[in-house]
Amino acid sequence: MTLYALGYPLAHLLGGMMLLCAFSLLSQRRLSAMISIYQIEALILSAAAFWQGFAQGEWNLYLTGVITLVIKALIAPIVLRSIVQRFALIRAVETALPVGVSMILGVGLIGVAVLVVLPTTLNSMTLTREDLAISLSVVLLGLLVMTTRRNAVSQVIGFLSTENGLVLAATGMPGMPFVAELSVALLVLMAFMVVGVFLFRLREHFDSLDLSGIEDIERRGR
Amino acid sequence: MAMPGFGLSPVAVFLPLVAAPAVAFFGKPLQGAVVNLLLCGCVFLLTVGIFWAPGDGLIRADRLGALFGVLTGFVALTTAATNIAFVRAEAASMSVRRWRVYHAMFAVMLGTTLLGLYADNIGLLWVAVEGATISATLGVSLPRTASALEAAWKYFVLGGVGIALALFGTMLTYLAAQPVLHAGLNAMSFSALEANAAHLDGALMTLAFVFLLFGYGTKAALVPLHGWLPDAYAEGPIPLTATMSGLMLNVALLALLRFRHLMQVNFSAHGGAMQPGPFLLALGLASLLLVAFSLWRRRDARRFFGFSSIENSGIAVFAFGVGGAAVIFAGLLHMILHTLVKSALFQALTRAAALRGGAGPGQYGFSHLRGMLASNGWLGWLLVACVFALTGLPPSGLFASEFLIVSQTIQREPVLSLPLGAGLVLCAIAIIRMVGPLAFAPPPKGAMRLPAGRGLGFMYLHLVLVLVIAFAMPAVLVGALSGIAAGLQ
Repeated sequence: MTLYALGYPLAHLLGGMMLLCAFSLLSQRRLSAMISIYQIEALILSAAAFWQGFAQGEWNLYLTGVITLVIKALIAPIVLRSIVQRFALIRAVETALPVGVSMILGVGLIGVAVLVVLPTTLNSMTLTREDLAISLSVVLLGLLVMTTRRNAVSQVIGFLSTENGLVLAATGMPGMPFVAELSVALLVLMAFMVVGVFLFRLREHFDSLDLSGIEDIERRGR
Repeated sequence: MAMPGFGLSPVAVFLPLVAAPAVAFFGKPLQGAVVNLLLCGCVFLLTVGIFWAPGDGLIRADRLGALFGVLTGFVALTTAATNIAFVRAEAASMSVRRWRVYHAMFAVMLGTTLLGLYADNIGLLWVAVEGATISATLGVSLPRTASALEAAWKYFVLGGVGIALALFGTMLTYLAAQPVLHAGLNAMSFSALEANAAHLDGALMTLAFVFLLFGYGTKAALVPLHGWLPDAYAEGPIPLTATMSGLMLNVALLALLRFRHLMQVNFSAHGGAMQPGPFLLALGLASLLLVAFSLWRRRDARRFFGFSSIENSGIAVFAFGVGGAAVIFAGLLHMILHTLVKSALFQALTRAAALRGGAGPGQYGFSHLRGMLASNGWLGWLLVACVFALTGLPPSGLFASEFLIVSQTIQREPVLSLPLGAGLVLCAIAIIRMVGPLAFAPPPKGAMRLPAGRGLGFMYLHLVLVLVIAFAMPAVLVGALSGIAAGLQ
């Protein structure tokens, strides 16, 4: 079966492309570009889920792929774009750290992920362990995006990218019961509800979605 | 004595979850509060019944879960009872729709907390914690003030990160179980993992534990990740965001305890895992010491006692880190006692703030609440008793558990007993210094003598229970707790 022989390289290719997306999220200063990159990342993720479903013969993973495709790659970016348009947030994102520094930190995090995962998973299948290293890198990079941005929307994008990393890890697990995938999808949905609520209310209280204004309140309030 | 097959655990979990949408769409605030009370009453009875019919399958209470389930049901019941007075006092402060959301979130929080305690599946446990986080964030954001939104945002971001890390840890645990339990649901079941803990992939389990520690540690408000808790406790409607979400700390702490047990067994059997103790000791001590220094500068009572919850999470985690049946017994006892004291205290504070003009966020400044004895004797003495109980000085109930923890630490980790003792003493001084102003100082201008309303009896009942459990523990409870502790050492 030539197609099955592709299992290993193709899964890695998709994972690597996701890592690339997660990394370029760090470098982007504009929200619209960040949303586009996130969308591409989610598309690749759904492709990875479909591929894993085919390679492992697990029907559940096809379902994960569909959920990812519909919610993360289509609906989520539409909502995010509408928020950006509604609040006229087209201007550049203000970062808490210079882009160069955060890129260096990102490289460091990928190094940490590889160094941590590869030696500890010597007994597992090769596919799983390298998939795991890649997905941990995506998770950590997403968290880094969350910490280096002050804007609420870009923090949310960082969080969504983190979730993509988690789902990538889940799809790579051999025969993982569906509980995890379903709940991750659920979380995204809920997160959107919550975040949507937040963003609209933040708007009532602050003129922009820049959360640095929040710290003034913190200073005055205590 | 347990009936096989039939179980009350899923009923207790799903009853509030099913009731939540009904509460969310219908009823006036006061009706919602009454329905909520009835619901909590039923759930409490169910949590008691679980001892006889835990059931089996995914949602199945073990002894530890059942014990904390009763505690959760009891605290939820008294909170729902005192909540009626809170709703009556505050009905005008929020729209009817928000009150409905409030009561729905109350039910969701109760259901998810019980799910977290009863789930015999690491994935379900994670779902429970996630659901509780979402309901708590919604609750915190309810007053719609700028500071409430800030608190909710902080909670959402930190909680989201914690949840993400915990899920990664959960998946790694599943992977670590592959060599023995193979693919499928069995590899996510706590009881199966426990039975095969010695044969798990130790290195992977260690990696998983680090993620779980930081993931559930966020929910337990351990120190580098505690930032959300004081804000969340200080904002939002107090019965939901302080009393009910305090119960969620227990779920996170018990999750840490169970995962620690897997690690410890694996380590003892030379399965390749690292010893979990040092991780827990470090985080526990850091929490305790940070609180010991930050308690001194708080002017808001809810924030202040929020920090004290971080302290008590720290103490429990420290106890779990020391290891051994006796100290785990003490840690569990400490969690039970602290939950009872802290929930009574928050209920009393709500009442006190209501006497002084309103129980909304921002009305809990110590200067605003001072001299409570002049306003109402019963309430004043109740506050004195609760705050004193928190110090852990004798004859407060917490003394029993803290004494056990300290003496065990001296035996097993003598070097650490010094910082532990220093932290405990500093916290005790910082807390006891609040008793005087809160009760005996002259009240602010315009404060009158007012009736405290019904429901104070529940809070006194909490304190009586604390004393009974601490100093005259029924033999049944001693047996149950030491059995649990011995099984999890």
